[in-house]
Amino acid sequence: MSTLRGKTAIIGCGLSPVGRVPGRSPLWLAADAANTALEDAGLTKSDLDGVLSAGAFASPFHRFSVALSEYLGIQPTFSNTLQVSGATAATAFGIGAAAIAGGLARYVLVAAGDSLLTGLTPDLALRSMSESRDQQYEMPFGIPVANTFAMTAHRHMRDYGTTPEQLAQVAVVHREHAARTPGAQMTAPITIDDVLSSKMVTTPYHKLDCSLISDGGAAFILASAEDAASLGIENAVYLLGAGEAYTHEHIFLMPSITSTGAALSSAKAYAMAGCTASDIDVAGVYDCFTGTVIMALEDLGFCAKGDGGPFVADGHITYGGTVPVNTHGGLLSFAHAGLPGSLFHFHEVIAQLRGACGDRQVPDAELGLVHCLGAGWAANATVILGTEATR
Amino acid sequence: MITPEQAAAKPLPMPDADTAEFWAGLARGELLLQHCLSCSAIHYYQQGMCRICGSSHLEHRAASGRGTVHSFSVVHRAPGPAFKDETPYAVLLVELEEGPRMISRLVAGADPSVVDFDMTVQLVCVPVDEGVTLPCFRPA
Repeated sequence: MSTLRGKTAIIGCGLSPVGRVPGRSPLWLAADAANTALEDAGLTKSDLDGVLSAGAFASPFHRFSVALSEYLGIQPTFSNTLQVSGATAATAFGIGAAAIAGGLARYVLVAAGDSLLTGLTPDLALRSMSESRDQQYEMPFGIPVANTFAMTAHRHMRDYGTTPEQLAQVAVVHREHAARTPGAQMTAPITIDDVLSSKMVTTPYHKLDCSLISDGGAAFILASAEDAASLGIENAVYLLGAGEAYTHEHIFLMPSITSTGAALSSAKAYAMAGCTASDIDVAGVYDCFTGTVIMALEDLGFCAKGDGGPFVADGHITYGGTVPVNTHGGLLSFAHAGLPGSLFHFHEVIAQLRGACGDRQVPDAELGLVHCLGAGWAANATVILGTEATR
Repeated sequence: MITPEQAAAKPLPMPDADTAEFWAGLARGELLLQHCLSCSAIHYYQQGMCRICGSSHLEHRAASGRGTVHSFSVVHRAPGPAFKDETPYAVLLVELEEGPRMISRLVAGADPSVVDFDMTVQLVCVPVDEGVTLPCFRPA
């Protein structure tokens, strides 16, 4: 069987300003990040022939990737605006890699931006995200986007004894990580008590169990490993594995609400990469809510099913633990700009693998994993990345 | 991009060919499930063909209206302005006696703090708008 393992290199990365970035459109945020990524790769915009993007809640453009190309002044011959909610970013890397390996494009820009915080009011941002629920069977009951995730975590607490304090610890660790990350939106230290005494949003989630609402953009340049070598790229990071899983659309048709498609998507990614969870040095795990991280850690194989709460409480997702997770602070504390939000996880894991994280560097990080998910666990996508040494 | 006017409006079901009978049933006080005459699967989500075997031989039968709470979440921060006046309210993931699960809500007036896992609940059909009746539940 043919494989994408090691065939594609990420040769450029860029972030726009993130957090509160007033007056900047989703297109500007994505384009600003794209320009940084191009500079990082040593390419110019005329080198790009592929563009993959995601839609933006605060943008009127249905074909965001096409609008972004126009904004950048390029005319790609491969493009799409992807949409599998929070999993979108991870799918873009697999699709981009496949497009390059298959000859559809040579240099693919993966870029997205949104201004959820200043481009929309809080009410509009929440309602926009809830619009992805079913118009007939879910939305009429007043189901916030948090609610599907809340119900899965709630049952997880019931079945496995996961506690509110363990959920809160996820938020505390993310805030500690964000405090070390330049540009992070929320850096003031918080305690478990702070999380538990913050306003209830939808049980069991308090305000500080929920991800932020932010502005921001991120961008990456993908190329074949051969082109990366001929360009003389010294810090290339390679795509070693990719897997996706779609287990349901409606939360009431999720086969089990405590075991997720992350198990299947990651199994595919590990098989392609030829590694297991125990080989992973650093991870980015979609953290739209604290309980989401706990459930994902289990299904990604970092701990046994049901042990996610104690795993977090015992210090296993930070420095010195089993696998430092979201060392930039994640959606919970770095920034959550809608669909671009999970591109920030990629930016961080790639920076870790490049050894470019300064005082938040995970020592000897060679293998990284990013898991993105969305739509109440309906969509899952896992990508495994590695340094030249792991290729 | 959503407009403030759209966000202020309550989302209501828009019956189509797959769901018209289902919504008509609720208006009569019946929760209609689709029973597949080919493979015996029972569906809450209404579709023109069986999700298990693909058969289009599906028959509507009224559910007993009894179920249990598989999971729930009490909403304190509404998803936009349309639901702000109703908080706190309990969104339920109900497992019907017949097997299928569905998203629903504890009826207005019932105390959301009494909801617990696996508690038994009973269907209440709540008219909410011209021609629209929602399937809600009360403690049994």
